[in-house]
Amino acid sequence: MTARNRRLLRRGAPALGVLLLALVPLTGDIYYQNMLIMTFVLAVLASGWNTMAGYTGYVSLGHSAFIGIGAYTAGVASAHWGVSPFLVAPLGGVAAALVALLLSVVTRRTRGPAFVIVTFALLELLGLTVRNWTSVTGGSKGLLMPLPTWGVDIQDWPFYYTLLGLLVLAVALAAGIARTKLGIGLVAIRDDEDKAAGIGISTPAYKSLAFMASAVLVGVAGAVYGYYVSFLDPGAMFDIVLSVEAVLAALMGGRGTVWGPVLGAFILEPLSEVTNSHLGGSDAGALRLVFFGGLLLAVTLLLPRGILPQAAEWLRRRRTRGATSPVGRRLADAELPATPVMRPRAQTEDTALLRLTGVSRRFGGLVAVDDCGFEVTRGSITALIGPNGSGKTTVFNLVDGTYPVTAGRIDFDGRRIDQLGPTRRTFAGIGRTYQLPRLFPSLTVLQNVAAACGEFRPGNLLRSAVSGAEAARATELLEFVGLGDYLTARATDLSYGQRKLVELAQVLMLEPQLILLDEPCAGINPTLIRRMAALIQALNRAGQTFLIVEHDMNFVLSLSDPVVVLSRGTVIAHGAPDDISADEQVREAYLGADFALDAATAGGTA
Amino acid sequence: MTLLLQTLIFGCLIGGVYALMSSGFTLIFGVMDVINLAQGCLLITGAYLSWWMWQRTGLDPLLLGVLSSAALYGIGWLLYKGVVARVQRVDPGLTLVATFAVAVAGEGVIALVFGTSDRSATPSYFNTSFHLGSLSVPKAQLYACIGALVVLGGLYALLRGTFLGRAIRACASSRGGAELVGIDVERAMAQMFALGAATTGFGGAALSVLYQFLPDSQDIWIGRVLCVVVLGGLGSLPGALAGAVVLGLGEALTSTYWDVRWTTAVPYMLILAILLLRPQGLFGITLRREGARA
Amino acid sequence: MIEMHSVVAGYGGGDVLQGLDLSVRPGTITCIVGPNGAGKSTVLRAISGQIHPREGEIRLAGSAIHGHSPAAVISAGIVQVPQHNGLFADLTVRDNMLLGGYLIRRDKARLRRRIAELEEVFPIVRERADEKAANLSGGQRRIVEFARALVLEPRMVLLDEPTLGLDPKASALVFDSTRMMRDLGTTVLMVEQNVRFGLRLASHGVVMERGRVLLADSSEALLARPDMAAMFFGSSAPPADPAEPEPGTGTGPGTDPQREDAHL
Repeated sequence: MTARNRRLLRRGAPALGVLLLALVPLTGDIYYQNMLIMTFVLAVLASGWNTMAGYTGYVSLGHSAFIGIGAYTAGVASAHWGVSPFLVAPLGGVAAALVALLLSVVTRRTRGPAFVIVTFALLELLGLTVRNWTSVTGGSKGLLMPLPTWGVDIQDWPFYYTLLGLLVLAVALAAGIARTKLGIGLVAIRDDEDKAAGIGISTPAYKSLAFMASAVLVGVAGAVYGYYVSFLDPGAMFDIVLSVEAVLAALMGGRGTVWGPVLGAFILEPLSEVTNSHLGGSDAGALRLVFFGGLLLAVTLLLPRGILPQAAEWLRRRRTRGATSPVGRRLADAELPATPVMRPRAQTEDTALLRLTGVSRRFGGLVAVDDCGFEVTRGSITALIGPNGSGKTTVFNLVDGTYPVTAGRIDFDGRRIDQLGPTRRTFAGIGRTYQLPRLFPSLTVLQNVAAACGEFRPGNLLRSAVSGAEAARATELLEFVGLGDYLTARATDLSYGQRKLVELAQVLMLEPQLILLDEPCAGINPTLIRRMAALIQALNRAGQTFLIVEHDMNFVLSLSDPVVVLSRGTVIAHGAPDDISADEQVREAYLGADFALDAATAGGTA
Repeated sequence: MTLLLQTLIFGCLIGGVYALMSSGFTLIFGVMDVINLAQGCLLITGAYLSWWMWQRTGLDPLLLGVLSSAALYGIGWLLYKGVVARVQRVDPGLTLVATFAVAVAGEGVIALVFGTSDRSATPSYFNTSFHLGSLSVPKAQLYACIGALVVLGGLYALLRGTFLGRAIRACASSRGGAELVGIDVERAMAQMFALGAATTGFGGAALSVLYQFLPDSQDIWIGRVLCVVVLGGLGSLPGALAGAVVLGLGEALTSTYWDVRWTTAVPYMLILAILLLRPQGLFGITLRREGARA
Repeated sequence: MIEMHSVVAGYGGGDVLQGLDLSVRPGTITCIVGPNGAGKSTVLRAISGQIHPREGEIRLAGSAIHGHSPAAVISAGIVQVPQHNGLFADLTVRDNMLLGGYLIRRDKARLRRRIAELEEVFPIVRERADEKAANLSGGQRRIVEFARALVLEPRMVLLDEPTLGLDPKASALVFDSTRMMRDLGTTVLMVEQNVRFGLRLASHGVVMERGRVLLADSSEALLARPDMAAMFFGSSAPPADPAEPEPGTGTGPGTDPQREDAHL
């Protein structure tokens, strides 16, 4: 299949599907019409669930609550003002989004388990509230919706077409989000939330937006659905089984994909209709539970990734069979492309870009960093060296905000930063790489780089990450580090050294004033080491400041000036490379301190 | 004043029972970081088993809890080996979806086996009380609470004083470290999971005497269990005991002074309030353990 | 005691040990030294069964132990003291000691006797018995870990950077305790980044680089080599003839052997 055909298929197939679905009511078959209405509701719900749970990784087990919120908001409003529920259906969406915004506060400070619990509690609590708040909601007796005003001969068409429209919108929203910086930021949060915060992804804002996006269309669909069933009762509107079906549909089709939840809904709902009509008698409800519970269990055990990702993987394997994987290919020792231009920053008078003063960090009884103080001069390549366990990486973690300092202060670009969170420090102009590169495994190389944000601008979130300025910049940076051929590769398919280069490009995307490199040479081959050195030098000539932790002495001594030596968490030497390599104390630190031996022999037993 | 005292007594007695019902969940989360959403289902299973044996034999349903808990030990073992351990190997994030699926399917199975009408065990002391002046202490609640405290004490002693308990705590502290002293981590985890289910079996026996129950009561009960552990801080046994008493008091006070219809909403209101305002739990035990990496 | 033959092993990302040969004589303290990333800790993990070699064999007193589970290796008589978090921080010192005897938990009398014996040798085990391990200082934790490792009366103990993060006084305690272990009849194989400390403590030394053994000799002989500093100051140096340190590695030839000797 050529690329053009594929594009045609990608655009044409959904259009054709919508057209066919639009024609169904004209057949006049009420059975299929009703089944499809239920399918649309489930698909919208599953698609919404997918935005939060699939993209962002925060699983909700009470997502059907938004159906109830939408239905009751519109139901109560329409009774109050005496207007058609269709008119006030958008209010249902607004209410759902507001509740989502409130609940997303929970995700600010806690991870996974708390979110599951809170969504479940929301569903149950709303059900109880509606049941008990009889004056407004009608309680368990339910709320009767107005009768449709249109003629019998057009059947349930208004519901059908509205819900079909909502489904199209839901898919468009999901697809749209997936293309934006917001969308890849959400996937980044799912893969590695701490790392995401370190490359300027404002995780609380992203998560709130995702949860609202996952609720809003469900709320509108709930309003229409409530009108369709003509009678709102708390048991049906806040039904945990509907949540189960949504989770099941999304998991089965493929969470984290645009079409997976829709596919899942179109498989599940007809299946549910069939089992409904075949399971009669008093045990029908119980059998349905066994069926859905068992199916959900089977999917999690046997098909945990879902149909679409599994199929895509299979296709990809077939297509790439025989082709060399990018990992095997060696990077050529080629000329470097032109150094990308960095955004100029207003500079303060201070020549020291970063200054640590009396910084300490304890972990329980262990003192990892002890009264450590040094400066990084603007425009320098400063190296931080020292034996294993001397606290180098901890210093990085203190500078970038991974850990708070126990004592002391850190100043960056003329202001104190040791109280700021990691994302704020990123926005201030600090970027860092990790000893073991931490790329987002679900994203492509290009997306990994494009996910990074040097500053928080709400408008930026909706910019496309796969085309336009952001993608162009990311491409430029990847070409600069020599990985221009790997834009669409998965980060996990790259070699270790290549991943380090991607991480460098990711950091450059932030346009930081200071780049912290944690062992850029560890575990990579000599060709890549030379390339890494050349990149660092080129960037440095363009004015970029670096602080580098590295064990490779040749690399350190040839590249950096000055060198700071840590031992036991304290700076023991600071100076030009030549002085450092001649320094007796430094050699002692690396080869073993004699004072330990003296103390030992003084101990007597030896 | 009497009413208040009466309410407080009632709340504390129920709190002890709630603590027992939540102990399995807390243990499993504390050691494995697994949210076991099948806990409510296990609890209801224990209740049905005790009720059924009581019907058959006429023996005391609370004492029959020993047998229910033995059965649940087996069910817990199967649940771990058959579901949790497998899903953890594939995608740890899905364990809660898998245990949720077990809960849903389990509710269906219970309904098929035991039907869907209200049940409760009514031994001779059901609905009778001890009287202390103007205060009354319902016997069923008292016996259940004493039983709960005995089982919790036993669980605590087992965790502190036996090699199984030490091995379980060692795995919770550091899996790699546990391997290096020769502990079979997989086996210890399975035993721990089964043990958590077994204490839930006792909880079910208490439930069968104190409440009417249906297969779908598991929804309410998983809500109460979640509330207890959220209040106490996820994963802490003493925290769960304190959280359980808070919930018991909250429910008792609500039904006495506000409206009995809102009693079932208390757990969810507490969950939302705590997670929105104080996610570390009432007693300051954090949801996330901060790993000290030097 | 232990023989490793052409061992190739590593983690997911690639092979760290690339055909390693190593042997340790019974009753000795052998210290592995080498630059970061040489694969020192990986040797210990391969022996203790935490990772399984892809190729090659590991024999303990003649019988193969590669591919065995950690528990099986412990039963065979090898106990490892890991680099980090070896003690269970939330458990008391006594519980930690008892878990050291997990494999003999049914033999209560033997377990009690062993712990009592070790309390004599390492008094801190008794003094702080009821304290949580987390409340101990770094040096104290090390000593408890050593004592715990000895509960099973192992033939061999593996120590992974025992002085990491310790101050000089605590290091001295580790120094004494390690000798004590050997005097109790246990063979010790240790990894130490503090080269002089390690070689001073050990009777035999092994220098590793890039997953292979570069040199193995008595520790006095190794300490006397003038080129030791060079080997450590250039981790990117190819595994060349060790007698010819890579030129341009900052220090190398400048090291004065006389001065080194003065400290021995």
